[in-house]
Formats: sequence, C-alpha cells, structure tokens
Amino acid sequence: MPIRERVVSELERICGPGAVVREPLQLLTYECDALPHMRATPDLVVLPQSAAEVHQIVRLCAREGIPFVARGHGTGLSGGALPVPGGIVIGLARLNRVLEIDIPSRRVTVEPGVTNLDITKHVAPYGYYYAPDPSSQQVCSIGGNVAENSGGAHCLKYGFTVHHVLALEAVMADGEIVHLDSAIAGAPGPDLVGLIVGSEGTLAVVTRVTVRILRKPERVRTLLAAFDSIGAAGTAVSEIIAAGIVPAAVEMMDALAIEAAEAAVHPNFPAADAVLIVELDGNAAEVEELFPVVEAVCRRAGATSIEIARDDAQRARIWRGRKAAFAAMGRVSPNYYVQDGVVPRTKLPEVLERIRRLEARCGLRIANVFHAGDGNLHPLICYDGKVPGQADRAVEAAGEILTYCVEAGGSITGEHGVGLDKVDFMSRMFTEDDLEVMRRVRDAIDPRRLCNPGKLFPTPRLCGEVPGPYREHPIEKAGLAERF
Amino acid sequence: MTSIDALPQAPFLAGSVVRTGKQADVIDGIKPRVVVEPRTSEELASILASASRERLTVVFRGGGTRLGWGRIPQPIDLLISTRALNRVLAHEHADLTATVEAGATLDELAGTLGQHRQWLPLDRTGEAATVGGAIATNDSGPLRHRFGTPRDLLIGVTLATTDGRLVKAGGSVVKNVAGYDLGKLVSGSFGTLAAIVSATFKLLPMPAAWHTLSAAFDTADDTARAAAAVNDSQLEPVSLEVRTARSGRDAATYRLLVRFGTSPAAASAQVEQARALVGAGEIIEGDAEASLWRRYQAHTSSSAGTIVTLNWLPAMLARVLALLDEIAQTGASVELAARAGIGAGQLRLDGSMDWQAAAVARLRGQSDLLRHVTIRDAPPAVKQAVDAWGPAGAAAAIGAAVKRALDPAGILNAARGPI
Ligand SMILES: Cc1cc2nc3c(=O)[nH]c(=O)nc-3n(C[C@H](O)[C@H](O)[C@H](O)COP(=O)(O)OP(=O)(O)OC[C@H]3O[C@@H](n4cnc5c(N)ncnc54)[C@H](O)[C@@H]3O)c2cc1C
Repeated sequence: MPIRERVVSELERICGPGAVVREPLQLLTYECDALPHMRATPDLVVLPQSAAEVHQIVRLCAREGIPFVARGHGTGLSGGALPVPGGIVIGLARLNRVLEIDIPSRRVTVEPGVTNLDITKHVAPYGYYYAPDPSSQQVCSIGGNVAENSGGAHCLKYGFTVHHVLALEAVMADGEIVHLDSAIAGAPGPDLVGLIVGSEGTLAVVTRVTVRILRKPERVRTLLAAFDSIGAAGTAVSEIIAAGIVPAAVEMMDALAIEAAEAAVHPNFPAADAVLIVELDGNAAEVEELFPVVEAVCRRAGATSIEIARDDAQRARIWRGRKAAFAAMGRVSPNYYVQDGVVPRTKLPEVLERIRRLEARCGLRIANVFHAGDGNLHPLICYDGKVPGQADRAVEAAGEILTYCVEAGGSITGEHGVGLDKVDFMSRMFTEDDLEVMRRVRDAIDPRRLCNPGKLFPTPRLCGEVPGPYREHPIEKAGLAERF
Repeated sequence: MTSIDALPQAPFLAGSVVRTGKQADVIDGIKPRVVVEPRTSEELASILASASRERLTVVFRGGGTRLGWGRIPQPIDLLISTRALNRVLAHEHADLTATVEAGATLDELAGTLGQHRQWLPLDRTGEAATVGGAIATNDSGPLRHRFGTPRDLLIGVTLATTDGRLVKAGGSVVKNVAGYDLGKLVSGSFGTLAAIVSATFKLLPMPAAWHTLSAAFDTADDTARAAAAVNDSQLEPVSLEVRTARSGRDAATYRLLVRFGTSPAAASAQVEQARALVGAGEIIEGDAEASLWRRYQAHTSSSAGTIVTLNWLPAMLARVLALLDEIAQTGASVELAARAGIGAGQLRLDGSMDWQAAAVARLRGQSDLLRHVTIRDAPPAVKQAVDAWGPAGAAAAIGAAVKRALDPAGILNAARGPI
C-alpha cells in the first residue's frame, strides 16, 4: 500500500520538505545496507534532525499503522535496515550532535547518528576512548551499534556495546519517548536497556545514547605471528588462554585474506597460511610481564616469523591490514559474501576444517578472517555475480557454514545480527518455545509490530517486494557506483 | 481449583519435596503456605504452569540471602526453592565458560572453577547466595568496579515460564547476538517474570596476586579527591571503594580501598603507584588482604537497619558524602560502602523506624544528585512508610507490559518486585 499523500504532507510539516525523500534516484541509497544481496526500494525516507521530530514521526506512524525502519549509516551486514513494504525509513544520519562530554564522570552523551569513532575522537585529548571498535567504526553510527550490540576486535577483553551503554533515550513503537537507565547505571528492575541493545531496531528508535568511556591503557603491545597452518595458529590461541592471559585482541587471517589485504592496503604481512595478531594492553608492568609469554607460546606453536610493533605507526599498519580485510576482498574477487558465525574457541580447528571441505565441494573460494579469541568466524565467500548461479551458491555455502556453527554449539551471529538475512536460521538455534517467548516480549512492547517488522524473527514474509539474491544495480552496471 | 488447605497434597506437586511453610520461611512477616523443592527443571516448569492456572502466588527462593528485599509480599501460596537444582552442568575451562543450575551457590561454583584457576568475578552476599539469586537481583559489590554486575558476565539462560515452557536465550559462546537477550531482561527482575533455571557465564583466569591499599582520610573532600586521582590514572584496580561511617555527633571516618588483582609483579607495582598517587595508606597483602575483604563484605551485607542502594555521577562523590554527613547529624548512624569509580553504593541507615523512613525520603528528594535510591532490606515498618523501589519512571510501564506478557496471572513475586 503506497504511503498516502496526507501522511507525506504531515511528514513534511514535521521535518521540512527537504527532509522527505521520494526521488527514485535518491531512494536508491536506502535500498540496502552493506549486505549486497538483499535490497528493497523504500516508498519514502524521512530524515529528521532532532529527537522531537523522530518522536512526532513515530507517533504519526503509530496513529496511521505505518511500519517504520530506523536506519543509521547503512553499514549493517544482515539487512536490518532494509525498507519494509508499505513502510517508511527513518534515517538518523542528521541526528549527529555530541551532547555532553563528562570526563570526570567518564561518560559521553550523543545522538544516534554520531559515528563510533567520533566518540573516541572527542575524548582522546583527555586520554580516554570508547572501547567497542567494530572494523566499520569510522562510518557506522552509534545508534546502529546499539541496535546490533556491535563488537569489535577488542571485545574479547572489553565486551560489546551492551557493556558500555549507561542510558538511552528512545521512541518506543507506540510513540512514547522514554529515558531508560541501564542496569550498569544502577536502574533497578528488569534490564530494559540490556533488552533494547541488540534488538535490531525491533523495539524502539534510539534517539540518544550515553556511553561510558575508558581511560587509555598505559601500555599496548602488539605482535603479528605467521604460521604455516591454521591449526598451529589455533594452538597458539588456546595456549595463550590456558596461560591465564586475556589479550585485548586475538585476530586471525588465512592465506586468501592475507593476499587480499596485501593487495588493498599493503600492511606488509608475510605470505603464510595464517597470521595471528595478538595485542595486550593495560598496566605497563602487567603487559611487560605477559607479552614475552605470548611470544614464547607463538614460537612453541611453530610461528615461522614474529613481528613486534615497535611504535604506534607499526601497530596501526598491522591493524590496517586486519580492519581492511573485508573491503579488501574486492581485490581478489568481484563479489563476496561476509558470513558471521560463532563457535566455542576450542571447536575452531574442527569447524575450519569443515569450511575447507565445503570450499573444495562448492567451487568457491572462502577466505577466513576472524576474532579467534572469542571464536567469532567471518568467512568471506568469493563469487562472481556475473556468472549465473554463483551468487546463489555463495548464499547456500554461507548458510551451510552456519549449520557447522550451530552443530559445534555456537551461534548464527556474533555481531552482525539476524536482520532479514538470517531469519530462517533462527529456528536452527532456538526452539519454537524459545522464539515464542521472545515474540511475546516483542508484542508486549510493539503489539502492532510496526517497528522494523519482518526482521530478527522467522515470520512469513510480508506481501509485496520479496528480497532476493543480489542482482547488480543499473547504476553499478553503468560504473556510477562501487560497493566499498 | 485446589483449595489452599489441600495445597500440599495437590497432584501437581506430587514428586517434588513439599512441606508446609515454617517460621524459617517467613518473609516480612508472611509465612508461605507451602514450600516446594523441585528436583528437575521440567518439574519446576510444570509446577509453574499449574500455579499460574490456579492463580497461586509464587516466590522463588535460592539461598534466601536476599529474600528480605523488595516490598512486603501478598500472601504467598508457594515458595519454590531452587536448592535441589544445584549442579554445575559444564565447565569448559578451555573456552572460559561454565553452565550451572540456578540453585547452585556461588561458592559451590567457585569450588569447581578453582580447579582450573578460573573464577566468576562476582561478590556474594552470603555463603548461601545462589547463582539464580545473583542474576535475579543483579546484585554486586566491590568487584563491580572492574567486572560489572552479573548481567555483564551472563551469556545464556534457561528460564521456566508461567505457561510451563523451558526456554533458552543466548547460548554458551561468549559472543552471540542472535535473538533477544532474555538474560538481560531477567537480570534485576527479582523473580517477577520467570524462573531462572540455569545460566551460562563467561569466566576469567583467577588473578595470581592480590594487593590492597587502605588509606584513611579526615574529610569527605580529601577522600573524593584521592578516589578521583586513582580513577583518572591508568592504574587498573579491580575495586575502588570509599567507606564512610558516622554515628550521631561522632566525627565521620573515611577510608579509601584500592584493590589490585593480577600477576604478582603488576599487583605490587600498581599498589605502590596508587600509594604515591594518594599520598598515604597502608599496603595489605596475603591472608590479611583476603580477610579484610571478607569482613568488608560481611559488614555491608549484614542487615541491621535499612539498607539502600543508590547511584550518582562519580564526579559528585564529595557532595554525596557531605549529604550523608548531614543526615547522620540528625541523630543516627549512617554507613556507606561505595564504588567510587562507578558512582554507586550501599548505604546502611540505622536509627528509629521513623528516622530510617525519613532518611530514605530525604535521599529520594535529592534527585539532582542521587538516582535509583532503592531499598534493599528494611524492617517492615520502614517498608510500610516508604516504597521499596521508588519512582521507576518510563521503565514502569514497559516493565508492566512485559510482565503481563510473561506472567498474565500476575503470580510471580506478586506485589513485591520492581514490576
Ligand atoms: C566493512 C565492515 C566492517 C564491519 N565490521 C564490524 C565489526 O567489526 N563488528 C561489528 O559488530 N559489526 C561490524 N560491521 C557491521 C556494522 O557496521 C554494524 O552492525 C553497525 O553497528 C551498523 O551501524 P549502522 O549505523 O550502519 O546501522 P544500519 O546498517 O543503518 O542499521 C543496522 C540496524 O540498526 C537499526 N538501527 C540503526 N539506527 C538505529 C536507531 N537509532 N534506533 C534503533 N535502531 C536503529 C536498523 O534498523 C538496523 O536494524 C561491519 C560492517 C562493514 C560494512
């Protein structure tokens, strides 16, 4: 059902005519997030400038029964911000003010469109930083981070978004604007902030976020170790943990991922079957005591070379190689699909072996980049969208990998969320009873299911546009746009 | 409908250990009619389903260490004890995770984890404190400075709902964002939404050494300044506590405790740096250190008077201390154990019932300074005079809607809990 003109003029009255997007070419931006194979054209996008405007928009939607989807910066990798038929997209990019920086009380309050890295930039001069650091931190919004409970390379030691959000202001699905403190800010009663964080925009539109910031660690030491098998690198990871060390980060990349990163950003990684990046941070005495232990463990596990970052520049170069890994796949493959699954750390070798066999069977190359410390895999499945059938095969292979994760006792998503992409996998991980209770919670808060419907829960698809496998868009074909 | 007198013989209780409520089971003067101790989670779930159908009110009990918390209950039909559900189901030490039934005590769990030099870094209110109780109250102590509250360590839960389902959320891997995090939802829910049947936690390696700096101060300002200096430094204590006590006209005493738990070299280096920064204090280690913290814990969780939890912006510590000093001067005794880096603490108010109630009301009146002033434990007379939970704001309506969805008959912790 198309949006009625009356609603359009009301939206224009709320936000100003320039804030309501209906031009087909402009709407293209909002067709998908960073997951290329799913897209849907929105009927209308509205770009509010303040929480008060968001409040009025959602009230209007509630009154008219119009579904709505919050959108941050569209870097999501599960189709969470995909438009829904007959609904509107509420783009939050213009809510990008930093509202309060309180160093003595170690907290920052921002609007949801502020990027993750901007928070750190604002507090860095005082010696502080915001800990969760998704690889997309330069571009993703804090609102998106809250919705996805985003993690990053350093979440092994410092936790995820949910461990750092002290309070939220949100417009609930019924149009109420609420201020909620999280359990970590001492609010008694069920931890509603803990529920909303990670609910993928299905319970509320977040309009303000207060996060805690941490003092920069006194010492950071980083090493890059090369191994001639993933198994050997995996052994090193297990032994670091067994030695009672909790590194700030432990990241692994396999040969294909290394090749791609080299081609894209030249981090000067050794040609190896696997590299491991291990970072320790914290108190200087502690780091200096434990770092040699990590080095020795890597050598014992058969490291063929170890590079220790001597300064920030060298550390930054190593991390550039890791953080650019997704985007770099473009250098070795025309298209790729990023999977996100989790296995208990000890099951990594077994699951990686299954992925190797799958690679041989399906005829598509699969690169592996992962947060080895917490068992979070990011297989990158390479395909060529121009070769008929390959895109579908890639999606199939990606699905199969999730089966391996579930069978190993893991999860279908560690940080990218269920979104639309994985709704069909939810029932592999959860029973109908599990899902029913989650649905009840959702319906208690959003009884009419107006808030990002069709996402996260395995519901029958809404009528109208059915998202399908990725097809190259005309403007991409014409060379007018490139996917990161 | 089962008549109340026939309750102990009700068919749905057959098999579970059942007895009538005794004096030891009394909560705020209310004696539960029947106490049941299901032996399996399935049994617990089916008892809940029957109770919901028959509209029998239910209170869950773990170790019973925090049962006095909350409002005065309505008559309690069933007190469901989780103590028979006390197995450690899995300790995956190489993955640093453990799954444990809700009725296991934190001590029992610690015993298992200790075999691999690992731990769940949570404070406990007493030897009997259970895992389920820790989650339901989301209670925390000095370790919160570094490790957070139970909800921060919880990665999966199994719940029994009032319609008799056993459902899980989260999982057994440390990183997982699939589905709603119902574990967060039940954290702090005080048994009002569902029974927590088992839980999976992420663990940490046990620190090899513990060192504590203990420094006394004469004034609130000096104490707050010292705490801020440590907090703004790059030191990484596990606890940063400020303790103050004042009784009537006696002068207030102030103490700062900075605890480090890490490798021996790093612990001793840091505690020295902390002393240099603070400019005073005694360094305590070994058995004396461990017993200092045991006493500290026992003291703040003992139950004379009214115990209140309260929160503030960390930078406001000096003002909070000054306010408490004023309150104490009105003639009774006030003791605060505070997490200086977080801006949270437990306060004990001891004096006449009227004075205790008035003191709580006064704290709530300082809403520009204090947030979430919640009564944990108090004599019934105080709970009658002031609400245990205080104003909940927007969370109240959302919490109530969720409660209706999960407990439509309203039987769980009826009238007592935060929702
Ligand atoms: C190259 C690359 C690397 C990445 N690396 C990581 C990584 O290391 N770790 C990680 O966790 N993720 C990573 N991601 C995924 C992505 O960046 C995160 O999920 C991010 O949090 C999304 O933010 P966004 O602003 O782009 O959100 P969007 O994509 O715009 O939206 C994501 C979801 O959030 C909801 N949402 C957005 N804003 C709000 C709001 N204000 N209120 C309510 N709901 C809202 C949307 O409805 C949608 O469901 C990566 C993505 C890319 C492209």
